[in-house]
Order: sequence, then C-alpha cells, then structure tokens
Amino acid sequence: MRKTIHSASDGIALKLKILAKEKEDVRRKLVVTAKKLRLKARQLAATAREKEVVRRKLVVTAREKENVRRKLVITADELRMSRKTLEKKVLERTKDLEKVRAKDEAILASIGEGLVATDKNGRILLVNKAFERLLGWKGEKRKGKLLSEVIPIIDANGKTIPESERAVTKTPKERSMTTYYKRKNGTSFPVAVTVAPIYIGKELIGTVTVFRDITKEKEIEKARSEFMSIASHQLRTPLTAIRWVLSSLKREKLTEEQTKLVKTAHETSMNMASTIRRMLMISHLEEDGMEPELEQVILQKELEKITRLHDAHRQRSGLELALQCPQDLMVRTDKQLLIEILDNLLSNALKYTPRGGKVRMSVTKEKESIRIDVADTGYGIPQEEQKRIPEKFFRASNVDSPVEAGTGIGLYMVYNIVRLIGGTISFVSQENKGTTFTLLFPS
Amino acid sequence: MKKHVLIAEDDTALADLMANVLSKYNIRVTITYNGKETVEALGEEVPDLLLLDILMPVLDGHGVMKFIREKSLECPVIVLSNLSDKETMDKCKEMKAQNYFVKNDLDDDDLWPAIEGYLR
Repeated sequence: MRKTIHSASDGIALKLKILAKEKEDVRRKLVVTAKKLRLKARQLAATAREKEVVRRKLVVTAREKENVRRKLVITADELRMSRKTLEKKVLERTKDLEKVRAKDEAILASIGEGLVATDKNGRILLVNKAFERLLGWKGEKRKGKLLSEVIPIIDANGKTIPESERAVTKTPKERSMTTYYKRKNGTSFPVAVTVAPIYIGKELIGTVTVFRDITKEKEIEKARSEFMSIASHQLRTPLTAIRWVLSSLKREKLTEEQTKLVKTAHETSMNMASTIRRMLMISHLEEDGMEPELEQVILQKELEKITRLHDAHRQRSGLELALQCPQDLMVRTDKQLLIEILDNLLSNALKYTPRGGKVRMSVTKEKESIRIDVADTGYGIPQEEQKRIPEKFFRASNVDSPVEAGTGIGLYMVYNIVRLIGGTISFVSQENKGTTFTLLFPS
Repeated sequence: MKKHVLIAEDDTALADLMANVLSKYNIRVTITYNGKETVEALGEEVPDLLLLDILMPVLDGHGVMKFIREKSLECPVIVLSNLSDKETMDKCKEMKAQNYFVKNDLDDDDLWPAIEGYLR
C-alpha cells in the first residue's frame, strides 16, 4: 500500500511537476505575450502620436488652404476692380487718342498747301482738302491709286515728266522743286513741291508731298523780269549814250573848268551805270539764274583795269593804292564775276578809308587756289556788327552817312558771287585800324 | 579820200550819237538800222570800219560777220553789244572781229582810242 501510496503520491508529484511545468510554460507564455502586448501598446501609442502629428499638420494645411482661398478671393476681387479701372482708362485714352487723331487729321486737312502721303510704292494713303481743291480730285476715291496716275507732273512746255524723276529713290531725302501739276480737268498750274520720306524708326514707309500753287509768284516773277528788262534797256542804253558822249568830250581840248565838269559828269554816269548793273546782277543772283562762265583770265590785266576805274575817286580822296600781282598769272574763272567781286571790295576799301589812308590789293598764288587780299587803313567794322556783313542793305554804324553814299548791296552781292565761283571770302577788321578782305578761289 | 565808217545799230539814238561824235574826225559816216541794210550797204561799198551791234532785227550781227567772211571783205569790225556772255564774245572772236565792247561795261575810255585807230 505504501508503495501504492508511494506510488500514488509519486504519481501526484509527477502530475504536480507536470502541472508546475505547464504553469511555468503558461507563465512564460504570458510573460512573452505581455511583452508583445507592451510592444504592441508602444507601437499603437507611436502610431497614435504620428496620426496626431498628421492630423495636426492637416489642420494647419486646412487653415493655410483657407487662408489661400481667402486671399484668392480678395485677389479676384481686386482683379475685377482693376479690370474695370483699366477698361475705363482704356476707354478714356481711346477717346483722348481719338481726339488727338481727329485734331491731327483736322490740322492735316486744313493745311493751306496741298498734301498727299503715299506708301513706298507711290500709292495714295491720304490727301488733304487743299489737295482736293487745287486738283479737283476727291481724295477718298483716290486712296490706293498711284499718285503718278492721279497727278501727272508736266514741265513748262506741257511734257509729262516720267515717274522716275519724281519718285523718292532708294536713298531718299527731302527735296524741293518747282514744276507744273495737271488738274482733273486737264488744265495745269505751276507748283512749288517738297517731297520728303516718311520713316518709322529706320524703316521707310512712304513719302509725303506738299505743294503750293505758285501762279501768283510766277506772275510776279514775270512782272519783275519784265521790269528788269525795261530797266536794262530803257535806263542803260541812254546812259551808255551819255557815257560815250562824255568820254568822247573828255578827249577834246577844253578849258580846265570844263574838263573838271565833264570828268565829274562822266564819273557820275559811270557810277550810275555801275549801280544799275549791280541791281540787275542781284536780280539774276536771286533768281538763281546765274551760271559762271569759265575762261582764262590774266589777273594783272583785269586788276589794273579795275583800279583804273577808281583812279579819279581815289585821287580826289587823297588815298594811296598799291597793287601787287605776279606777272602773267592766269586763272580759269568767270571774269565778269571776279571783276564784280574785286570792284566791290576795292570800291568799299576806298570809300571807307579816310584821307591819307592806304589801300592795297595783293594777289598770291597758293597751292590750289588764288588768294587776293584787299586791305585798307580805314574806319573798320565794329566787332559786334561784323557777323552782319553779308546781309543785304547792311551798313556799318560807325560810318557817317554823308561821308559816302552806299547802298549796302555791294558785300551782299560779293558774298553771293564768291559762292558762285566756288570761292570763299573772309575778313579781319579793327575799328579805326582798317579792314582786310581775303578772297580765295580755285585756280 | 575821207575815211568811211559804217555804223550798224538798231537803237537810233545811239547810232545818231555815234555818228555825231565821229563827225569831228572829218570822215564819212553811214548808219544802218538792221543787219539786212548793213549787208546791202557792205555790198555797195566796203567801209574802212564797221561798228557792229549784235542784237538787230531781220539779221543779227553774227549774220553780218558771216557775210563779210563769205565775201572775204577786207573790213575791220568793232562789235558794240549789250551781250556780255562768253559764247557771243567767242563767236565774234572766231569771226575775226577786231574788238568787242560791251556797251554796259565801263571801259568808255578805251572805246574812242580803239575806234580812232582805224581812222588815221
């Protein structure tokens, strides 16, 4: 029994052992599970934290989004406002521009001179009222037509001038001319025309032509030239007769008194002839009708002739005259014009030099030009008046008018003639010391 | 025999004046008032001196000089003209005019000695 008991207790012990072991296993498992659970719990906590972070971020983002949305709404409002303002402004500006354009157009249309703008190909872009009035064309209907077809240009004899003569060519620049335009009805009239290129930036886009009816001017010009011709014949021919009689008389045996009188009369008539000649020459110069005629001129011979013309006056005024010129010096120039220049310069030098003074005319041959100085010891020209020397009718203020009669056309003429012969003229002058005029012209 | 001067000048006043001035030289003076008359006068008698205007009606001075050259007349010519352009002057020189005076030029004092030269 004991044994059995023993054995029974053994069995229980074993069972207990097994139970204990099982319990231990379970405990261990529980511990493991508890560990796992703790871990899980930690993980969950972490996840929860992360989620919280994300949630918070989302909240922030949502807030930001809301802000942005609000801002967008404001911007949209602002945009709407600005668009309205802009539209208003554009409208205002357009109105202003329209006004300016209308004003410009009105100005263009009202220009008293004919105006026509063409594109690069000579097609009409725009004409003004004067264009329509002068030519008889309605401008609107002419738009896009070739200008050359609308207004043929003809010369004084009625011959049509080809397009090539009138178009602004590849190197366009402004130019003016006088010519004749044909009206719609076939009649023609003289015009002064100025054609100018129109550039936008550097691009040539066309030309603008402005023209003026110069019928009146032509009539005046004709009257003037008729007057000049009358002056030339009716005044000069009898004067020539008088001069010839007097110069012939001078050669007669006369009493001293008579000789003096005849000489004076002759000199006066010469001065008068000289004045008429100057008047005519100025008229020619101003009409641009003068072309220099080149010929070989023996300078010394001509200079002696000129000085001789002034001998009587010079002696009477008690002046000394020296002439220096290389012998046989020949120049190719317009003799009459050169004489006119030097005659005027010498005449002035003698006129405006007081008794006892000296006048010197000297010629120097320079490299490619001839230099002629006409120097006097006269009254000189006041500094402040010197730049007015080339003016027509200018007379220096320091010359008492009773001293010498002068018209103030001499130097005006000289300056114009000098240009004609391709020369230059300059002077230095000091009051009460004298004046030196220097003429340079090509040899 | 008296020297004979022919004055061809369409301006009668000037022509008469020339004749009057020249009368003191004890010479014979004839006046013609246009180129045609001048040529006719030259055909009748060759003068010792012809004072010739250029701008004349019917036939101008150039025409007269051409006639003189064509007929080889021995007649000195002094041209007295209003024209002062080089072309006219050259043309006259070519036609062997002895002298050329522009009426409006102021070389009066050379004119009479030049004429006198042919009257001695």
